[in-house]
Amino acid sequence: SETVYECPDYKTAGENSCFFSKNDTSIWVNYNITVVATNVLGRTFSDPVDIDVVYIVMPNPPEEVRVSVTQKTDWPFLRVSWEPPKKADTRSGWITLIYEVRIQLENEDEWEVHPAGQQKVFNIFSPRSGGTYQVQVRCKPDHGFWSEWSPSTYVKVPDYFPREKSMWILIVVFSAFIFFIFSWLIYMNIYSLKHCLLPPVPGPKIKGFDKQLKNGKSEDIFSSLVVSDFPPTTSNYEDFLVEYLEVYVPEERELIMEDSKELQDSLKSENSTCDNDSGRGSCDSHTLLIDKGGCDKEDGLQSDQEGSQPEMDSKRHEEAPEEELLEYSHGNVHSPDISSEKVKSWPSLFSPLPQYSLSPVNQPSPPEMGKQHCLSDSLFAPDALSSYCTQPGPSTKTDFRSNYWECNFNHKQSHPLHPQTAAHEHLQAQNDTIMACVEHIGAPLGVHVPNVRPTEYVEVQRVSDENMVLLHPVSSGQENSCTMRRQIEDYSRVTLNNDKGLLLLQSESMEEEMDMCPNEEEMVSRVTSNGYTASITPTSQKSAAGINTSLPILDERAASGYVDTTTMFGLPTY
Amino acid sequence: MDRAILLLSVMCLGVSSQPNADNQRLFSIAVSRVQHLHLLSQRIFSEFESSLQMEEQRQLNKIFLQDFCNSDYIISPIDKHETQRSSVLNLLSISYRLVESWESASHSLSGGSAPRNQLLPRLSELKTGILLLIRANQDPSEIITDNSNFQFVPYENNYHNLDDDESLRKTYELLACFKKDMHKVETYLTVAKCRLSPEANCTL
Repeated sequence: SETVYECPDYKTAGENSCFFSKNDTSIWVNYNITVVATNVLGRTFSDPVDIDVVYIVMPNPPEEVRVSVTQKTDWPFLRVSWEPPKKADTRSGWITLIYEVRIQLENEDEWEVHPAGQQKVFNIFSPRSGGTYQVQVRCKPDHGFWSEWSPSTYVKVPDYFPREKSMWILIVVFSAFIFFIFSWLIYMNIYSLKHCLLPPVPGPKIKGFDKQLKNGKSEDIFSSLVVSDFPPTTSNYEDFLVEYLEVYVPEERELIMEDSKELQDSLKSENSTCDNDSGRGSCDSHTLLIDKGGCDKEDGLQSDQEGSQPEMDSKRHEEAPEEELLEYSHGNVHSPDISSEKVKSWPSLFSPLPQYSLSPVNQPSPPEMGKQHCLSDSLFAPDALSSYCTQPGPSTKTDFRSNYWECNFNHKQSHPLHPQTAAHEHLQAQNDTIMACVEHIGAPLGVHVPNVRPTEYVEVQRVSDENMVLLHPVSSGQENSCTMRRQIEDYSRVTLNNDKGLLLLQSESMEEEMDMCPNEEEMVSRVTSNGYTASITPTSQKSAAGINTSLPILDERAASGYVDTTTMFGLPTY
Repeated sequence: MDRAILLLSVMCLGVSSQPNADNQRLFSIAVSRVQHLHLLSQRIFSEFESSLQMEEQRQLNKIFLQDFCNSDYIISPIDKHETQRSSVLNLLSISYRLVESWESASHSLSGGSAPRNQLLPRLSELKTGILLLIRANQDPSEIITDNSNFQFVPYENNYHNLDDDESLRKTYELLACFKKDMHKVETYLTVAKCRLSPEANCTL
């Protein structure tokens, strides 16, 4: 319609307002409202506003807002309830209101708004324990404006969650858990930790021998060092009386023997100059019976190319410590001017060469000549190295030309023995261990040993199946022309006489020089029931004096399997 | 239409057993549908209004003083008192007529945006629902007397020969009238529902 109604009331709504009451308006009617400004000059119309009452309804806020804490369960929640404004006729359905609830924790700035729909009850879950909340509600008709927020309602949530106490409990449990894990980790890695923090100090060990010990063959080693029949039960007790023996292994040989079998290495290292590894105490101690007798076993393994000179040089290096050792321990004799001879001291654990050793004692001249190196091969320990030399007793304290016995240790298994620089002779029977002691007796100085001849070494070249050992002479000394020549000689065959227990050396020297240097050493092999007998036959000195002869002594011990043999150099056929 | 058939069948089954519960359910369905239609009309109108430029808006506001719709011939309560005085059946019949008139005019409403295209099917479904409600709440004795109310006045199609300005204005009026009528139907149905609701508080 075109009817224009002027505002009936300019005051009720405030300044610059117009109030059309309910009587003046009706719903579902589009009204066009304009404001007209009039002054003297004329009037102006504002832009019209087209309205329908229905769409601009703004209800009153909800009433009777109540908040309560419901504790039906262990976890309480908030229940908010309200009533629609009284003027809104929602009961008849004339107007439909939708509500909105908002909640705020005390001392916070943010409201938490929850649309509630058309319901008049609303639940808020998981309130903060012990907190105070502020709740407000507002409403809106379907097509209208939001009402104002209702006045705040406050509610206090009880302390249903003992937070502090539980927090501490949680912290304690967590810390205990961490602690247990940490301690378990440390326990698992305690060794590595200890190794890291406290590095282990390397203990004393003997180079060469230690390795063998670690390899688990200590049993064999120790067993080899033990004579099965020791203490000897023979009546010949004094034969076994040996105070001490020392065995030295030249350092040069040690190096060479490194590649050879371990057993030999162990022996070698044992007898070398005391290095940091080796138990030096054994070197210095005169009472120490060294298990790891390192005889010149490696001599047999040394190549032919090894000249005697280098060996002697190496030996010369060892002379100094050895000297001391010799004097200190055995009173061994070593000539300072050893050029071709080397004094070697071999420690011996057992005195398997009682006779052998004693003989020098009993016969001062020859034993005083020098040391005797005995090659001993223990049968009872096939893999064991038991080489030791019996030395003349402590009586030898005179200056001698270096005479030394070299004991070559032979493995049970036959192996080709190469000539060594010094004339070492290895005799090894296949079945029996042969200890070959080579006595290198140099010309003593100041000692009337007319009978003493410098010994030469004979090497066993091969051991035939018939228990024949072929000896090959090895020149030991330079000054000994005989020995030089004897090197060339192809040596005697060694036959093992099982009946008598004799090992016979047969020399087959083809050289004429051999005649010059007759090898008058006799090989004495004796078999004793209980033990070995090693005898340095002084008969070797029967030969021309001044001739270096090597006196091999072969002892064979068939019974126990232990045989000491000393190879005789240049022995005539037996 | 499937829903109408379903409603019809269910109603036939349920009328004899529990008329009130089914009534309420039908009312709830009808109310929700008309509410949705009303929201649609509001959206369409606001879209149209936003598409207009300022100048045209001002002109439209100035000119639009007729304040009449094609559906004004249908006498309907215009305020709360009249509405509450009217009977449920009266309200239902008025609603039915309103929906029916707009259903025939939906061709002028539809077109253009997508919401417009949904109006016709929704109007049809709403009409069917209201008819069911009428049938459910109708006394057999009242059928004859209410025939006059169901007199169908065909919708006058006055928009064919309009120029652009006229069409624009007419569209504006059309959409405004549609929105208003939808709100009327929603209100009538809600009031009727609450009146028949056994609960004291029927605000759903």
